[in-house]
Amino acid sequence: MLEHLRVLDLTDERGLLCGRLLADLGADVVQVEPAGGSTARQAPPVAEGAAPSSMYWEAFAAGKRGAAFDLDDPQEVARLRLLADAADIVVTSWPRPRLEALGLDPATLRADRPGLVYTVVSAFGWDGPKASYADTDLVVWAAGGPLAPHRDGDLPPLRISVPQAFLHAAADAAAGTMIAVLARGATGRGQVVDVSAQEAVGVATLARVLATAVGDDHPEWQTTPGKRTGGRTDQSGSGAATPNSLKKWHCRDGMVELHLSMGPAAGTFTNNLFAWLRDEGAVEEPVASWDWRVVPDRLVSGELSHDDLDVARAAVRAFLLTRTKAEVLDAAIRRRLLCMAIFDMADIAASPHLEERGFWGHVDVGSTDVKLPGRMAQVRGPEGPRVRGRAPLVGEHTDVVLKEWLR
Amino acid sequence: MSTDALAGLKVLDLSWVVAGPLIGRTLADFGATVVRVESSVRVETARLMQPFHGGVQDKEGSALFGNCNAGKLGLTLDLKSEEGQQVVRDLVAWADVVVESFSPGQLRKWGLDYETLCAGKPDLVMLSTSIAGQHGPWSTLAGFGNVGSSLSGFQHLVGYEDRLPMGTFGPYTDYVGPRLALVTLLAALENRRRTGEGAYIDVSQVEAGIYFLSPQVAQFGYDGTIAERQGNRDQQYTPHGVFGCRQVAGKDRFVAVVARDTAEWRALAKAMSRPDLADRADLATVEGRRAAQDEIESAVAAWTSGLAATEVERVLQSAGVPAHLAVTSDDYPADSQLAHRGHLVELPHPRHGTTWVEGPRYALSDTPGRPRGAAPTLGQHNEMVLTEILGYDAERVAVLTEGGILR
Repeated sequence: MLEHLRVLDLTDERGLLCGRLLADLGADVVQVEPAGGSTARQAPPVAEGAAPSSMYWEAFAAGKRGAAFDLDDPQEVARLRLLADAADIVVTSWPRPRLEALGLDPATLRADRPGLVYTVVSAFGWDGPKASYADTDLVVWAAGGPLAPHRDGDLPPLRISVPQAFLHAAADAAAGTMIAVLARGATGRGQVVDVSAQEAVGVATLARVLATAVGDDHPEWQTTPGKRTGGRTDQSGSGAATPNSLKKWHCRDGMVELHLSMGPAAGTFTNNLFAWLRDEGAVEEPVASWDWRVVPDRLVSGELSHDDLDVARAAVRAFLLTRTKAEVLDAAIRRRLLCMAIFDMADIAASPHLEERGFWGHVDVGSTDVKLPGRMAQVRGPEGPRVRGRAPLVGEHTDVVLKEWLR
Repeated sequence: MSTDALAGLKVLDLSWVVAGPLIGRTLADFGATVVRVESSVRVETARLMQPFHGGVQDKEGSALFGNCNAGKLGLTLDLKSEEGQQVVRDLVAWADVVVESFSPGQLRKWGLDYETLCAGKPDLVMLSTSIAGQHGPWSTLAGFGNVGSSLSGFQHLVGYEDRLPMGTFGPYTDYVGPRLALVTLLAALENRRRTGEGAYIDVSQVEAGIYFLSPQVAQFGYDGTIAERQGNRDQQYTPHGVFGCRQVAGKDRFVAVVARDTAEWRALAKAMSRPDLADRADLATVEGRRAAQDEIESAVAAWTSGLAATEVERVLQSAGVPAHLAVTSDDYPADSQLAHRGHLVELPHPRHGTTWVEGPRYALSDTPGRPRGAAPTLGQHNEMVLTEILGYDAERVAVLTEGGILR
């Protein structure tokens, strides 16, 4: 859909994903690296092999062409500027002082090219009191809000174990770029798109960042619940107010996420679960016939106790230990259970659903054929997004890109 | 001349909760007219979710709903009725874009699926977002937030190594899906602008989530490594953690601290007044620091525990070391960088006087986006949508009202 667009990609690991998304959509994306190679080639995870290889690079530079320039050589920098002059879009996440020193900053490149769309991805934004802060993914996650509320008991807040903050920013950068491209279609003018990763991750707090601003100071809504909530029952389907330890269960080959939901809205799902246990002879009366829609009332009246709940939990625990993740997922679909297998990378790679949907793309990493997420979405009508090929070698396409773009 | 990038774009938003509505929110920010259809009888989940204005649960008080729907026009409609469905058909005839997030197959039952709608309107761009996509064995999964994060691998990847997996904060794929959806939708609009061709876009939240784990997927494909949770530690940098600081007004405070290289590690150790650590030869490489990770983290934690988190941030950033306070809802409105960019936006609200939402996450220099108004109250724009947009006369509106269709 974007075959008519040329993108000069001056990103490092911070903005790398932006160009991948535009390349998936058909744009001609040229990833520029310094002569020694992009720092993104060291971004984890790095697989050990004959030549250590960053899977972050292989995944998010996939489908781009590669050009390398000696940025200490003014003549090489001048050639790079010529490429920028031939581009519809420049996207960068290089540090501002470096861009300005090279004359590749938005003001310089746009001075004679008002039609150029220039997108900058940075931790905090192009200017402002924290624009020159030293940053990492974790620092952005802390500064933007998602870190603080995510507590496991009394331990310090937790991040996701792999970098995510700049992926949100880089995806936003692709959207912001496209909005500018659409505006250019109407006005003929380009513009600067200034993306802040700190702002990008606010959405990942489910609006908790707005709580104080709107005058909501309920502390129990500010953090992940860590303790049993006294006499009250959590009647949501998701178990949002239930401690983590009561929602994780071991199964035969891994773990399962399951909240024993109760109450009029969500109790049916737990009835469905116990119907499964009953059919398999895994639960005895009277627990087997409880109606979970009225369990909260029976707890309040004293007819049931939390010890009775523990009997029910024990039955579920013993039963799930006999089932695999795949069996649990299958039952969740057939019997409408709010019960979900916790997948790891091996489970994902083996999923028949993803295979059937044609989700995977294949690229070469060295001489190994590697499966990558290939479609960010599926499109009918025009050709939809898909991974277009492997990540480039350092400078692999420098000459041909210069020839094609400067013709 | 218009300064709105998407001026004139007409959007029918049939989606609900978070993943769908966030798409239309951005389109509205940049100038599109977005009509959001919902039911006042079966009130949409986001209206029932915290945080709330003044901490009071009310269907017109959710800041989450406000953040996902700012600037849209609100129409309440009984979609189960034939008359309500006819209103939707009329809105489709008006719209350029339709966004929906019903269970896969639901719209077909109502005769409102893409095949039917595009029959007389080949340039229609329609986007469906769901947990696992419109087709495939998982497409009938009952959806709640944890399903997406479990099946995409995120549940497995959050937590301390020696404790249960924690999962993400909230329905993580709801934060990823709409970003990738928006990029694809905007590309489809660019294609439509140039060719007149419409498109149907099928977004799966699970697949969007996996896309953000592409490097870990690739690593599994390359050498069979299954990514595991590792607390706040990192594969590339050591130290890399979140540390407790002095409590403020009885509340726990934390700071994120990272050293990206040995120079930053030495600057950190000196800031901690630990020249002994700064000078230790075995800590002068990242491998050495990784071997001494427990010792280093204890030393950092001992230092930060007596300081205010803001002070740690100030001291370390002035030494060039990545650090940031773990920002809470209380801190968010006062953050100097967010304030500099005007990220929190105050809007007039018919019920609350004013409300607050997040602004766009990217600043466009020529066609800046901004929320045009607060999210609609239930049925706030019924009259306006039916008369001004659809051109219904008063009699027709009265029939719909009396027939209970506008609920």
